[in-house]
Formats: sequence, structure tokens, C-alpha cells
Amino acid sequence: MAHEHTADDHAHDDHHDHGPAHGWRRWVYATNHKDIGTMYLIFACVMFFVGGLMAMVIRAELFKPGLQLVDPQFFNSMTTMHALIMIFGAVMPAWTGLANWMIPMQVGAPDMALPRLNNFSFWILPFAFTLLLSTLFVPSGAPAGGWTLYPPLSLQGGDSFPMAIFAIHLMGASSILGSINVVVTIMNMRAPGVGLLNMPLFCWSWLITAYLLIATMPVLAGAVTMLLTDHFFGTSFFSASGGGDPVMFQHIFWFFGHPEVYILILPAFGIMSEIIPTFSRKPLFGYDAMVYATAAIAFLSFIVWAHHMFTVGMPLAGQLFFTLSTMMISIPTGVKVFNWTATMWKGSLSFEPPMLFALSFLFLFTIGGFSGLMLAIVPADFQYHDTYFVVAHFHYVLVPGAVFGIMAGVYYWLPKWTGHMYDMKLAKWHFWLSTIFVNVLFFPQHFLGLAGMPRRIPDYNTQFADWNMVSSIGAFGFGLSQLLFAYLIFSSIRGRANASDKVWDDATPHGLEWTLSSPPPYHSFETAPELK
Amino acid sequence: MAAATSGHDDRKRNVRRTALWLGLVAVAFYLGFIAMGVLRSVH
Repeated sequence: MAHEHTADDHAHDDHHDHGPAHGWRRWVYATNHKDIGTMYLIFACVMFFVGGLMAMVIRAELFKPGLQLVDPQFFNSMTTMHALIMIFGAVMPAWTGLANWMIPMQVGAPDMALPRLNNFSFWILPFAFTLLLSTLFVPSGAPAGGWTLYPPLSLQGGDSFPMAIFAIHLMGASSILGSINVVVTIMNMRAPGVGLLNMPLFCWSWLITAYLLIATMPVLAGAVTMLLTDHFFGTSFFSASGGGDPVMFQHIFWFFGHPEVYILILPAFGIMSEIIPTFSRKPLFGYDAMVYATAAIAFLSFIVWAHHMFTVGMPLAGQLFFTLSTMMISIPTGVKVFNWTATMWKGSLSFEPPMLFALSFLFLFTIGGFSGLMLAIVPADFQYHDTYFVVAHFHYVLVPGAVFGIMAGVYYWLPKWTGHMYDMKLAKWHFWLSTIFVNVLFFPQHFLGLAGMPRRIPDYNTQFADWNMVSSIGAFGFGLSQLLFAYLIFSSIRGRANASDKVWDDATPHGLEWTLSSPPPYHSFETAPELK
Repeated sequence: MAAATSGHDDRKRNVRRTALWLGLVAVAFYLGFIAMGVLRSVH
């Protein structure tokens, strides 16, 4: 008997979308949070290798004194593009990918609150980075004035200048829209019983990060819009010859730039607070304190910007204010490090790859934090400013900090996403090689900076030769080690041993994501889960 | 059933309202900083 379709059948179909579209439509028209999260993560991975190749060019040129591989203009383009790609193309999209995958599953929502906006946020990115990377092929070369885009230098960028400015606008729009989606999802889509003060700390750290993004990305957009009008429409916001003030650009830029550092690192704090309790087999020590510490770091990040500009010159009161406010950040950060350590204290620790990366993060990020304290002291900063000491400092924060945080998160949740466990032994090899080489790469840069080697130069005095060679060897080793990471992800997608629903069965993972199957169903929670 | 629909509508309204407010905050920061630049160059 033929089945007659009724209005009720259509209503039934509307409520049960049975799975993903097939072929390219699944990805181009994606509204599913997992599909969009996957696209973000793949995009970030590609950009990580593109930015990494640029780092290899930089370290190859610096392997020994003298100019051997590239001309100085191209070298400066490499440093500028490496930074822009790693910050906006690799780390930020990786965090957004993790947020897309995990936040709906952790708060018990069926999807992100605004799925179409989510699709739009992602698809802006490939266009933005195609535009940015295409500047490598314009006659004037890619932007070479540093990622900070200080005028008047950045205004001399030739044809690439407006392309880079437009690309930055697009990246900013993507970040703002993605952040709005995160805030709206967490504030409105939590399942019953998932309260603000019992949701996973990854959600908390992302919620605070999203607020930071919404407040600061428009500031960067405003700054580069003013640069654009200075260049093309005869305004003089930053042009001294027209009565403008180039130092104002630095103030505006760093009002964005310093919170940006925390945008890159706060989600890693959230991931640490997930992983360390799991593999310590203990609840997190001081949940509430962790939330308040994250919020305090975010607040303080708005009032420290001028510590990047001590050498520009400012009144003594300004120097004191920015020194003290910067040092105050160490208090909530110290609370976090103390709480992670206290979580491990007398715990039953095991050292799976996510935990290894978390421990490495804890030690090495703290080294970056300590060198940051040194840079906060005005007379010391006068010596260190624009030297390789600064390069070592922020790379310790961003590589074993943000990047290891991402890797820890991927190793933690990858079996949940794919349904397959990765090769644990190979992942430990990846950890050890990364941790050893990242120190070989960046620790000698402290010595170079303290000895006076300036940053952003393709050639240097022979007195710096030895440590530069060591640093370059570390860079090549670190770069090659990351091929293992790509292989492990690929092999987990292709399938090895099946992962259980809880994945880390002999540890104690908490959270709603572990109640779902591995891999989770296409629509995570069709009915709101009950939090026990 | 009616209560469930009303809850769904409420959530939809809250989602839109939150998104709109956050969008306005972003626009305010963008225009505000440009306005500050304009005011500073006027003086």
C-alpha cells in the first residue's frame, strides 16, 4: 500500500534531519558545528604549515652570519607574514575549531546558536588568507613592516598595503562573528542543570575570550581603517606632516594587541583545566578561583597595553602604572598555576599524550611568563626592547603555550571526534621531539637578546653566530616533528583501534561530551541531556 | 506542547537579542576608536 504523505510527515521530517549532505555541498553549505569545527581545524593546520615554512626560511637565513638565501626585503616579508599567518590563520582558527566542536557538546546543546552565521564566519577566512598570501606575488612584495603595522613604515608597503588591510578586516569580521556565536551559544543554549558555575572550564575560558575578541578586534579594524584613509584619502590620523600622531597608532594597536595575547592563550588555560584533573584522577582544585582568575586576567589585559611602548617615552606615572598593572597579571596567573599543581598533588597521575603536553605547557608557559615579568620592568625593558629576548619571550608564551595547548586539546578529544584511538607511542615521540626542539629553538634566543642581537634583521654580528646556529637546528627539528602530528591526525581519521565512548576509560574524564558515542552522532543532543 | 513552543520562541528571541547587542558593542568599539582619532586630530 502506497504511503500517503501528510502534513504531519513533513513536520516529522523537519525535526529529524537524518545526516550530512553529500560531496562538496556538505562543506560549502555546512551548518553543523562539527563540520564547521573540522573545517576550522583543517584550515588552521594548513596555515600552521604555511606559517611554519616561513619560519624555516627565517631560521635558514639566520643559520649563519651574512646574507645567503633571501634578500633583506623578502626576509622582512617573511617575519611579517609568519606572524600574521600564525596568529590570525593558525592559532585563532584552531581555537575556534575546538570551540565549534566542543562547546555545544559540553553545554548539552544540539548545535551552535547561529549555524548560518557560523558557516559565514568560517568561509570568510579562506578568502582573507588567499588575499593576504597573494601579496607575495605583487611587484612590491608582501607587507614587510612587521605584524604591528606601525606607520609610517607600513604605509610604504606599495600594492600589498591595501590588500593586507582588507585581509585584516576580513579576519577581524570572521573572529567577531565567531565570538558572537560562542557567547550566544553559552548564554542561551545550555541544557537544564548546566549552570554558569558548573560548566566545563574550556567553555568559561572561551566565553571570556569571546568577550575580549568582541571588544578588541573592532579596535584593530578601526586602526587599520585609519591607516587606509591616511594612505588613500588624504587624512592625517598618524601622519606627523599633516598634524597627526604616529604614536597614537601604537596606543590603539596595543589596546588591541595585548588582549590579543590573552585571546591566544586563555582557551589553552581552559584545556589545561580539563586535562589535568582527568589524568590526575582528581577534581580540579579551586574551580571558582579558576573562573575568577581568568576573568581577572581578561580585565587586566585591557590596562597594560603601553608596556609594549616604554621606549617610545612616557611620563614616569605612566611607566609606573603600566609596570605595576602588568606585574599584577602574575597574580591570577599564579593562582592558575598553583591550582593545576594542587590538582596533581597526591593524584594518581598517568602520562598519556594530552597530559604530557599539558605538563610541558605548565613548565614552559611559566618560563614565558617569567620573562614577561622581566620585560615589565621599565629600565630592564629599555635594554631588552626589540631584541631577541622579546622574540624568545613571546614564542615561549605562544608555542609551548598556545600551540601546545591546541595539541593537548587535539590529543584529548581526537579519539572522541573520529572514533579511533591514535598511535600512542608515536604521539609520545611527537611530544618528546616537540618539547626538546622547542627549547633548543627558543631558549638560546634569550642569550642572543641579552647579548644585544636585535630582532627583524637578516644578518648579524659574528658574536651571535653559535646560538643562532643552535636555534636554527632546533627550528628545523621542531618543524620536521610536526609532520608526525599531521600523520597521527590523518591516521586517526582513517581509523585504527576503536575508541570507547569515554575514550580515557582508566582516567576520570568529566563532562557531557563523554556521554556521547565515539564518534558522536551528527546531531549531538537532539533532546536536552540531564546533568547528573 | 504550547509551553514547549513558547520556550523555543523565548530562546530564539534571546539568541537574537544577545547577538544583536554584541554586534552593536563591536560596532561601537569600531566607530568609537575612529571617532577618538578624529577628535584628537581636530585638537
